[in-house]
Amino acid sequence: MTKFLSGLAKGMATTARTMTTHAHTQQYPHVKPELPSRSRGVIALLEENCTSCMLCARECPDWCIYIDSHKETTPPTTEGGRARQHNVLDRFAIDFSLCMYCGICIEVCPFDALFWSPEFEYSTTDIRDLLQEKETLGQWMPTVPAPEPLVPELPQTEAQQLVVDVEPEDDPAAGRTTKRGAGEVPRPGTEEQP
Amino acid sequence: MTTDLPMPRVGAGQAAAPKPMRLVLNWGRRYSLWVFNFGLACCAIEFIAASMARHDFIRLGVIPFAPGPRQADLMVVSGTVTDKMAPAVRRLYDQMPEPKYVISFGACSNSGGPYWDSYCVTKGVDQLIPVDVYVPGCPPRPEALLQGILVLQQQIAQEKLQTKSLRGRLGPYAGRRASAAEVSRPLVAPPEQTT
Repeated sequence: MTKFLSGLAKGMATTARTMTTHAHTQQYPHVKPELPSRSRGVIALLEENCTSCMLCARECPDWCIYIDSHKETTPPTTEGGRARQHNVLDRFAIDFSLCMYCGICIEVCPFDALFWSPEFEYSTTDIRDLLQEKETLGQWMPTVPAPEPLVPELPQTEAQQLVVDVEPEDDPAAGRTTKRGAGEVPRPGTEEQP
Repeated sequence: MTTDLPMPRVGAGQAAAPKPMRLVLNWGRRYSLWVFNFGLACCAIEFIAASMARHDFIRLGVIPFAPGPRQADLMVVSGTVTDKMAPAVRRLYDQMPEPKYVISFGACSNSGGPYWDSYCVTKGVDQLIPVDVYVPGCPPRPEALLQGILVLQQQIAQEKLQTKSLRGRLGPYAGRRASAAEVSRPLVAPPEQTT
């Protein structure tokens, strides 16, 4: 009986505690979710950067990227110059019904033409509409978030601590080292050797 | 013994319903979708996340308490449909009462996804049953399922259920003869006691 009563009291205490807090339900269709910039929603294409090098299509584990291109010749600009050839992208399509969102295409792209976008609202009623052509992929470019800073920001006290650590008192090499600014992180291996 | 899986049809009342009546019927259908989760792989976790308090698709009228396919209106196929599982998918779909809707959730059930050249994976659940909404992702976010549900609700709002259009859409998937064991099963006798 005491076990029952203590359990009841515990349950009622939990109820009382959660009664005062707000529900954490996200009102999705009315309020858009704030997604982190690393979200893998959709792959956006910056067409100007694409050189149709086919690296993404070849590295894709699913083979879900389709690229068509042709070569165009630019005549020489100076007398006796050489004519230059460059690729022109005709078709760039990603089949999002196959895509496994691994991000390998984005990582191998040597010219930064592909980006992750947190956009996820592209359900279709026809499977053929999931094959997104370069026009649609380009429309997702404005939704691409700004890149994260390369060096993550440290709390102020920790950053100051680092600066104090690397400043030697009477090291002959001290003259060569530039003073580190606050917030700059020493890379491993660049600290002063005694 | 074989049983006829009849071609889908709508009742006389539905067929003759005037537009305001149809509006009310569609309104009722789109906001009381008793959902039957055909969770087959990791995408099912995202489905469960969508049913939990943070995303909570009961707000949209999707009710995850259907005791079985016979009481469900919406089937969400989330996960890899293998060829071994395919008869079960088909069978449970056949058990659902009309009108019924299917959401294909995730790359695997859309088209096989990463397993598109596997020897044992069905290349998309739409080879077995008609799919209304395809939700892309691997796995899709829970919000993506909510958006797929919104797309489905828009489709239900606009639909005009008539026998002819229903057969045009579902014809390739229905009207076949199935063995009785495929769609129904007699009571299973308990194993004999050997004492």
